[in-house]
Amino acid sequence: MTTALSGSRTTVNVNGTAVEMYSGGSGPPLVFFHGAGGSSGWQPYHEDLAAEYTVYVPSQPGFNGTEAPGWVKTIADVAHFNHMFIAALGLQDIVLMGSSMGGWVSAEMAAMDDHNIDALILIDAAGIKPRDGEIAEIFMVSADTRLQQRFHDPSQVENYANYTRELSPEEQLVVHSNAITASQLCWRPYLHNPSLPHYLARVNSPTLIVWGREDAIIPVECGHLFQQAINGSQLYIIDNCGHSPAIEKRGEFVSAVTGFLNSNSF
Amino acid sequence: MAHDLEVFWFSEQPYGHVTEDDLAPYESGRMHFPNTYFDPEKAHTLYSNYHDQYQLADEVGFDGIMSNEHHSSYWCMKPSVNVDAAVITQRTKKAKIAMLGNVIAVNDPVKMAEEIAMLDCISGGRIISGFVRGTAVETLHAGYPPTENRPRFEEAHDLIVKCWTEPGPFRWDGEYWPHRMVNPWVVPIQKPHPPVWFPGTGSPESVIWAAKHRYPYMNLGSLLDLTKQLKGIYHETAAAEGYQAGPEHFGYLIRCLVADTDEKAQEIGRTFLWTENHRNRGPVEFNDPPGYQSREALRIKMSRPLIGTGTMGRRMSYEELQDAYNIIVGSPETVTEKLRHIRRDLEPGYILIYGNEGHMPHQDVMRSVELLGTKVIPALKEG
Repeated sequence: MTTALSGSRTTVNVNGTAVEMYSGGSGPPLVFFHGAGGSSGWQPYHEDLAAEYTVYVPSQPGFNGTEAPGWVKTIADVAHFNHMFIAALGLQDIVLMGSSMGGWVSAEMAAMDDHNIDALILIDAAGIKPRDGEIAEIFMVSADTRLQQRFHDPSQVENYANYTRELSPEEQLVVHSNAITASQLCWRPYLHNPSLPHYLARVNSPTLIVWGREDAIIPVECGHLFQQAINGSQLYIIDNCGHSPAIEKRGEFVSAVTGFLNSNSF
Repeated sequence: MAHDLEVFWFSEQPYGHVTEDDLAPYESGRMHFPNTYFDPEKAHTLYSNYHDQYQLADEVGFDGIMSNEHHSSYWCMKPSVNVDAAVITQRTKKAKIAMLGNVIAVNDPVKMAEEIAMLDCISGGRIISGFVRGTAVETLHAGYPPTENRPRFEEAHDLIVKCWTEPGPFRWDGEYWPHRMVNPWVVPIQKPHPPVWFPGTGSPESVIWAAKHRYPYMNLGSLLDLTKQLKGIYHETAAAEGYQAGPEHFGYLIRCLVADTDEKAQEIGRTFLWTENHRNRGPVEFNDPPGYQSREALRIKMSRPLIGTGTMGRRMSYEELQDAYNIIVGSPETVTEKLRHIRRDLEPGYILIYGNEGHMPHQDVMRSVELLGTKVIPALKEG
């Protein structure tokens, strides 16, 4: 039932911290940063993108198999760390892609230094506080509620049973440990940085913002706010789709991304 | 070292007008149960009753009064233990005042040091200053990230003790509570500072922290077997630290009500189970949000086979709880015998009487205080 995928697991030394990473494919570099739930490893949409890009999927500090250095306590710290990760790999002219909390980190990274970022892709990104709606509570809710918030229509999710199955004790520990890191990074201010929209005024990388219209965690309004904050950015909204379009609407998501990247001739 | 048993009175000061039916529709008994059920006029009467109970406990010979603090909780109308302690200083003459305690993880430590010192001066040195992390809801209520609870607690503790023991002004370059200038005018009357207690229910991490600081550990009513295991951890830790722990390092909270007859006490005591199943109902994330327990705490728990929930013996019947010595009700003779059993079994230096709950009639509670003070406590202290 699972397709054989090409992503292989390696470890990258980032200034003394061992970073767990999956990578595969060939072509220009594309680096993907995961959301607050942690890394799900090499996913089918990574495989799709690997047809044209060399795709790198690291676990960020404090998530999954990557330990957090003691100084990493904020999203800005993670963004600095991720820049070091890219430098450690020696990657040039990358496509920087992040989902949810990973989108927030990616936006912070681009605001810090975008000279090495050929394109920025933000997927249902945290980081900007909505004006009308609210970012949903993700910590003080049950796992069932969290799952309901994530997907608009579970029937659109391949291997949905994988999200509802009983976890092994080892898997539960990883989930719990990821949640501790996310709680540390995102509790206050809650899943946003009030200064981020102002930082983003200096981002010059071509930027695509992808959002599920029915995102029940970070409202689509935030996609519009990102578009307003980043000069020349494009917003692509996917209908009948929740917080994770790369999973729930994989085909349309991959087409939107590759279409954007090809039109900008990367 | 010989340590005479000390017996303390404790009341959560519940808002006893809340019923099971009131609570049933809401997802949790704390964060979701709306405060529109609170009637300040009724609270005024309840507070007066609870303060009368304090006064009587002092008059009939309790060694101390214990108080505490909770937020967003209908069963504890005390959002400030220091305010309650201030009342106790004025309604009692002799009793020690054990605050168990201030939630120093989420309150400015310099102000805490000042307020506790002020209470110690007002009371003439009767204060026992408990420090608590608070339940997770206390941290959520205060708006702090749960991951910061433990380091904020540790730093606040160190700063408070420094406020009490070192002359000001000084600078505190803390990570969580930085103060460029600390110089509290009021310092405690007790030297070097008021005794510090630390409570717990099931967490070995709490026991270890208390033992490393040589602070008495107060177990809040866990079942006897679990409590003995936790006490064992205290003794192990103390030995590793180079001292021998004794009864003066250990206290135990027990739900207890005395009436003139066993029958009457059985009837009144049933209220100890008031709305019990609603208190921590709701997603586990409310009581244990990510980061409230450290990875280290998880590691300790996994390395030791013990430790269930240990909290007040939930899901057991009234009769089972009595058989397990987790609730003690009866005539003075019955209660004295049962408390003797606990004393033999746990050898606590302090017994904290959780003596009131829910809508127990005030007069019945007053009678219980009187019988405890005049009959049970003297008999218990005789051995």
